[in-house]
Amino acid sequence: MSDRFTITLDGRNCPATSGETVLDVAGREGVSIPTLCHDPRLDPAGACRTCLVEVAGERRMQPACAFRVRPGMEVTTGSERIARHRKVLYGLYLADHRLDGSGLPSENGSVNRLREQAARSGALVLPPVNAPRSGRPGDSNPYIRFDPDLCILCARCTRYCDEVEAVSAITLTERGAATTIGTIGDSGLLDTSCELCGGCIDTCPTGAMTEKKSYGIRHEEMEQVRSTCNFCGVGCQVDLKVHNGRVVKVASPPPGETVNDGNLCVKGRFAYDFIHHEERLRYPMIRGRDGELHRASWDEAIRKTTEGLLAVKEKHGADALGFVSSSRCTGEENYLMQKLSRAAFGTNNCHQCAAT
Amino acid sequence: MDKAGARREEILERLEAEGGVTPESVARIALETGVPEADVWGAGRFYSLIREPGRRVRVCTGLSCRLAGATHRIEELERSGEPREEVSCIGQCDRAPAALDPDLELIPGTGTASSVLPDDPALPVNLGGADPAGYEALAKAQAAGPESVLGIIEASGLQGRGGAGFPAHVKWRAVAGQAERSRYVVCNADEGEPGTFKDREIMERRPHLLLEGLAVAAATIAASEIIIYIRGEFRDAKRSLETALKEAAGHLEPFDIRFANGHGAYICGEETALLESLEGKRGMPRLKPPFPTENGFRGKPTLIHNVETAACVPFIIHHGGERFRDLGRTGAGTKLYCVSGHVNRPGVYELPLGVALDELVETAGGYTGSPMAFSPGGASSGFLPMSLRGLPLDFRSLDREGSMLGSAGVVVLNDTVDLVAAADWQTRFFDDESCGQCAPCRIGARFLRNACGRFRTDGDPDALLHVEDVGWEMEEGSICGLGMVAAKPLTSAMKHFPDAFRRQR
Repeated sequence: MSDRFTITLDGRNCPATSGETVLDVAGREGVSIPTLCHDPRLDPAGACRTCLVEVAGERRMQPACAFRVRPGMEVTTGSERIARHRKVLYGLYLADHRLDGSGLPSENGSVNRLREQAARSGALVLPPVNAPRSGRPGDSNPYIRFDPDLCILCARCTRYCDEVEAVSAITLTERGAATTIGTIGDSGLLDTSCELCGGCIDTCPTGAMTEKKSYGIRHEEMEQVRSTCNFCGVGCQVDLKVHNGRVVKVASPPPGETVNDGNLCVKGRFAYDFIHHEERLRYPMIRGRDGELHRASWDEAIRKTTEGLLAVKEKHGADALGFVSSSRCTGEENYLMQKLSRAAFGTNNCHQCAAT
Repeated sequence: MDKAGARREEILERLEAEGGVTPESVARIALETGVPEADVWGAGRFYSLIREPGRRVRVCTGLSCRLAGATHRIEELERSGEPREEVSCIGQCDRAPAALDPDLELIPGTGTASSVLPDDPALPVNLGGADPAGYEALAKAQAAGPESVLGIIEASGLQGRGGAGFPAHVKWRAVAGQAERSRYVVCNADEGEPGTFKDREIMERRPHLLLEGLAVAAATIAASEIIIYIRGEFRDAKRSLETALKEAAGHLEPFDIRFANGHGAYICGEETALLESLEGKRGMPRLKPPFPTENGFRGKPTLIHNVETAACVPFIIHHGGERFRDLGRTGAGTKLYCVSGHVNRPGVYELPLGVALDELVETAGGYTGSPMAFSPGGASSGFLPMSLRGLPLDFRSLDREGSMLGSAGVVVLNDTVDLVAAADWQTRFFDDESCGQCAPCRIGARFLRNACGRFRTDGDPDALLHVEDVGWEMEEGSICGLGMVAAKPLTSAMKHFPDAFRRQR
């Protein structure tokens, strides 16, 4: 099936395989083509029009994200025509977008990819079009905020919700200039099928879908720390965004890089308040004869636990003990837990909360 | 994502039956069909006939109705307090100013019924003739076999009558040559180009001719299912076809023919938006390639034809391709020209393809007043000055002038018309009907609407700065044909009538 051939990209011969898009080949060859509506996890939409290129024999410019390569195809990614197209297209985007004092797309904290692309294109300055695009200001869900003034209608969020999560809580709604991202009856996300995975936030290129809790904290002021989510044993990778020594946001690494392929669940993405919670346990404690908990060392704590468990075994037998592991543990940790149960204490009473 | 076995194709019809989109109707339909609630909501809110519940009169604001006093009618209704909605062209330009009652039945304007030429069997469509349920052309085509029919269609030079003028035989062969055996014929009866009402007349006067043409196409490309996607506002036309289908029963037995209603979206006249709509989705055009002939309805090869194109087929089968071809002047065959605006007898006239404006208007009883401009092919073709009245009204000649024959909805404007206002109405039409999918059209159409509106109010030509750039980008960068032509009314008016766009005060 996979025919190999060459195409010409800006006059250069490049290897290509049938089924690939122009964007696939360009990406491999290091040829930069701007995109906004493209997400490798989604079917190409070709809707944002930023990636239009010229293909010899095609009367119209074609979207690189969707156009499939053919043997001998000649593609041009830079020409006067493409430059004019980008200049006016970005001008239109800017006329339909919230701008900051510099006349470039605003950032509400998240990265706005339109900002850099528009600056590079020398976008035409047009008066604001004042599209009647509504948001859902009354949506009381605790996590996800939709900012219609930053939305470019690329539909990555709705397509992600449908194609990746199979949840379809949000949809393109209305028509023409009024088109927006909506829900049934404009209800809040908590009253829809939304699972609050927040994937819409990660895929949004402009920050129109953004996180309520960290709203307004500038991305340049955040440090990024790659870590492993500890809510379950899958091992999703997370990028902790740290501001003034506190985790203020959790993002997924980009698709294609880690086991979770750009996805996270509601817990991994939003349930990070425990990290800095004042009641969080940071060291072992042992209840003393006074009935109060007292700080202890790990050695003391483990010794105390061992004594207690061995005492039960001696008095009632090994099967009086039971070991319950957590789905927050990794596979390796679960293995050690059952080994502890069976080899060290001699009982098969071993369970894990996700085993049912 | 749909549940397994979800019945998405039903949701728009169900929304219509429920009286429109409400959270309750959407939740119920989602539950019954297995389509996610949000998708039912988003699809329903796309279509103007179902997006909101409630009974109301719909007043046409198309160019011909505006010329005939639609604005006055709207003001009257406003005073009466009757619920009303201003809607895009409803395809009754010859009965302007037109409206629809709350049941979508026509409230015609002052004009009488549409004019057509008297019975003339030498005309392929012959709107004035009888419409017998004979189906002899179908029998003849079936006897001749697909290869022979394809040859006849090719020899006829028949070009698609929906607007693009694509050679019919190329499409037929493209579908016939697919490896996939499951194929469809879809009839595009979603006539909506402002100034156009020819398909409506065919469906009302010659329904058998249309059904026969579609059946010949289906037999030739080995499709058994024929779907007629008919404009929701065309109640009379649909009744006419339903009656004809009953009368024809025996002849059309091998074919599964059904109707699908449009729900109020001009864009669904675009073939891929139509397919999306048939599949129960928002009418947002698909990217091409792939073309419907390869990947159409339900992803299967699909032959999509405009009503008029299909209605030409029986004549071609009866009389041979050459006879049809030779009827034309600068292109093949006859063409149904819709004439409205400032002419004495608005109507549909079947004349040789390539007739010039004066001859056409003479057939339509002559000009009313002193003509100043004309649109040769509906809103999409922009405005041309009378100095171009000698152009053959065909696909090629108008294309060369940066205009188009399109659906041949000819609208004549005399010198009583404020051309800026006319350009403004047409520009608003495209902004109202843009699907919103791609930025050049969604934002560009709104930009043009604002620019033209501001110039109309202030008379300051600065409001029109960058109209040319934006128009260029809409033509170059939009996904579909709507975006490509949406700037035409304004840019053509500015080009041909520069005086109207100078500083006004």
